[in-house]
Amino acid sequence: MLHTVMTIVTPVKPAKLRELSEMLCEIGNAPEDNSYIPFRSFKRLHFASLVLDKGRARPECNPCLIFENNFDGPLETYLDELCERALPGLRSIYTHCEGFPSTEVISKGEMVSYLRARVVWPLAYHVGNTGRTVQRILDEQKLRDTMETQTDELVKNSNTQSANELRNSLQEFVRKQFPSMCSPVEPRQTSLEKAAPWIKIGLLGLLALVLVLIWWPWGNACFVLVVAYAVILRWKESKDTQLSVPVDAAKLKLLVENEDRTHSVQNHLANIAIMKPGWIRHITIVGVLWAINLLARAVYTQGKLGGIPSIHFAHWSLIDNGKRLLFLSNFDGSWESYLDDFIDKAHSGLTAVWSNTVDFPRTRFLVFGGATDGPRFKAFARDNQVVTNAWYSAYRDLTVQGINKNSNIRERLFKSLDERATRAWLQQL
Amino acid sequence: MKLDFKDIQGLVVSSYKHLPWAAFLLLRIKTAAGARSWLSLHLPEITTSEGRKSEGSINIAFTGTGLKNLGLKDYICASFSTPFQEGMTTTHRTRILGDAGNNSPSHWAWGGPEKSVDVLLLMYAKDEDPLMTLLNAMRKHPTFLEAFDEVDLVRCERQPDNREHFGFRDGIGQPVMEGTGNKKRQLQRTHHATELPAGEFLLGYKNVYNVTADGPVVAEHDDPYNVLVPVGDEFTGLNKQQGMHYLGLNGTYLVLRQLSQDVAKFWQFVDAASRDENGNSNLRQRDELGAKLVGRWKGGAPLVLSPAENDPEMEEDNNFGYWTSDPMGWSCPVGSHIRRANPRDSLGPDPSTARDSANRHRILRRGRSYGPRIHNELVDDRVERGLIFIALNSDIERQFEFVQNTWLNNPVFAGLDGEVDPLVGNLPRGDCVFTIQRQPVRSRIHGLSQFVTVKGGAYFFLPSLKALKYLTTLESESNR
Repeated sequence: MLHTVMTIVTPVKPAKLRELSEMLCEIGNAPEDNSYIPFRSFKRLHFASLVLDKGRARPECNPCLIFENNFDGPLETYLDELCERALPGLRSIYTHCEGFPSTEVISKGEMVSYLRARVVWPLAYHVGNTGRTVQRILDEQKLRDTMETQTDELVKNSNTQSANELRNSLQEFVRKQFPSMCSPVEPRQTSLEKAAPWIKIGLLGLLALVLVLIWWPWGNACFVLVVAYAVILRWKESKDTQLSVPVDAAKLKLLVENEDRTHSVQNHLANIAIMKPGWIRHITIVGVLWAINLLARAVYTQGKLGGIPSIHFAHWSLIDNGKRLLFLSNFDGSWESYLDDFIDKAHSGLTAVWSNTVDFPRTRFLVFGGATDGPRFKAFARDNQVVTNAWYSAYRDLTVQGINKNSNIRERLFKSLDERATRAWLQQL
Repeated sequence: MKLDFKDIQGLVVSSYKHLPWAAFLLLRIKTAAGARSWLSLHLPEITTSEGRKSEGSINIAFTGTGLKNLGLKDYICASFSTPFQEGMTTTHRTRILGDAGNNSPSHWAWGGPEKSVDVLLLMYAKDEDPLMTLLNAMRKHPTFLEAFDEVDLVRCERQPDNREHFGFRDGIGQPVMEGTGNKKRQLQRTHHATELPAGEFLLGYKNVYNVTADGPVVAEHDDPYNVLVPVGDEFTGLNKQQGMHYLGLNGTYLVLRQLSQDVAKFWQFVDAASRDENGNSNLRQRDELGAKLVGRWKGGAPLVLSPAENDPEMEEDNNFGYWTSDPMGWSCPVGSHIRRANPRDSLGPDPSTARDSANRHRILRRGRSYGPRIHNELVDDRVERGLIFIALNSDIERQFEFVQNTWLNNPVFAGLDGEVDPLVGNLPRGDCVFTIQRQPVRSRIHGLSQFVTVKGGAYFFLPSLKALKYLTTLESESNR
């Protein structure tokens, strides 16, 4: 896998909350080139965020710092680079956290192992632009911009050129202007990467078949278990309460003032919901997220997650020993449009996830009801949302669909295309 | 479903087309008691949705500050929706509505800082004289003078036809509210009608999610005369609270924006961008480019149905989608005004999901042009003219603001890159483009500038008749 998606979660010393919050604010005001972690200098980094969760009025929910990182390549390389370039800054941040060495100086190695020990891997994650590195995304945007300008010239000079003539002129132009972009590009995924999740699904199907057909006593036992599970779940659902008050206005104000800073092209969402108690909810969420993750690897590799076309990186993790569900998302458009996409296009999936957390709108059999009560679902989402203190994006003006389009243009630029495909290719400009 | 027409203000079911003269009076409350006695005095004159008044109509709406200044208790004000409570000019709203630069509230004639308004009085009449007589009699009356300060007055005269100032037929596509019986009329006129649940446009009714559109509530003891209806089991919204009385029922939220139009600037731009090879104006190409920007010909015929020229038979036609007939935008450009303002079935993943999804963001438009029609559209006459944009909706964030932010002002709408609505969008800095999809390849118009400027705006609550009556029963200061 090209991309690594992970968070570093550390408990914060309660006395240091305020100080840390001010520091994060400073980073948030200049995410690209602040004096703590100059994110722009990390060439492999797609998105990063720092979220200070101040905890809630519950003993198990301690304040914690959530450091989200979505990058190219393996964890070790990234951590090494991070600690190499931002050691003093990281030290200033993490002295506010529990378990950090109290010595005056800290070596790079110590910093790496401190962070490494606190890495939380997501139970499920989605990547919008499968297989594209930061560098490739930026290069392809530059190529596209230049080609667009050149197309303006071509159209201005003559509006009678055929599709083939136009394409030839553009190819010639790119050969001259971007010789480096002329060689064939690596595929977004290797055949093995494409096949692996399907092999998993196949094996599972086989296992199910074996259970049902051959070891039928086991199959029957499984069937009984599933029925028992459904009955217990339904009984629990009937007793669950749902959110019944509007969102606190002061909290809402804090959240929205942080949003739509980039002319609404991209936004960040951090959401921490409290798990409903009991093992049945725990196994449900682990199972549901496992399935989503498998689908994300197998099916949703073309830019859309269950019909939602606007997610760059999104991930779910359990934190606080499984007591809370953390969701982080880097997406295109406004919060309002993102949530509407959730409700209109992916309500069953997200109901299956969040119905395991407290206050979620009432559900039936895990996937029915729930998020279809749009207004209450939005209130639930706002209620559990936490302010993103600092957020970095390597390409703030680009959308998932835009990046895909750029890749499509580039991948087919020098391929041999028939008349029809040539016309389709030109329509992407 | 049955609507209580005598409790609903008339503007909800009618745009008063038969009353071509209008005045919008923007007021600030001087004293709560004064404003309440003025309201009691004029309550019988407020036009309801029952029947139709042939001579004139009066409707009234309040901003969040207006209700506070009228003496409504804080907890009741806090049960209204957030955008209404906060108003249109918070930092975040300014950002999502595109009210920056020239559009910034600090330049507004009303509604901006120092120029906030409490009350909107909407008056409509058949002719100029009766309108002015009514208006002046009202403004000179001692109870009025005691109650209000005038912030601004916008007058809308009779327009020669159904077109807005740029010259395009307007007000063709409108959703229909269930229960009003408007569906048949709409079908006859435009060959298409999208009927939506009443809760999309009225508080207290089921909305598109089949839950009650939330509205403000009042504790039982604060409604001693039982003017309002108690909240019952049929209300399923978030604000549902037993023992409360429903202040929002049969009311709705009204969005008002004054949009100034620079007609000569628009047509001069279109003219310059559509000249022939020799640099001469070309009327046909100019009309075509104008139509491409809007998505309809000046006469009204939609480009999807009538791509080559304005088909007079189709001037009010609204029976079309984009998914099958024009997926690439070859007839009606993807970024054109009408395609952005209502993308219909075009946004995917499939046409029916897309259409359902788009229909969760509809508004009832009740706007009117103000100012005289320009004499020559290419010559700047320095006369102020524009549109009083009025939208009715039950959820400002999901309806009006969504349309403005996610569709009109979105630089990456439907796969476009770095362009906004060519007519009303808040243009980003630098070169502003408009893409016209064509075969074999698109063309782009460069250097768009701002043709529409926001001059004022606010979010209002258009109460039911019962709610208005309730407001007159408030008591002053005593137990606040």
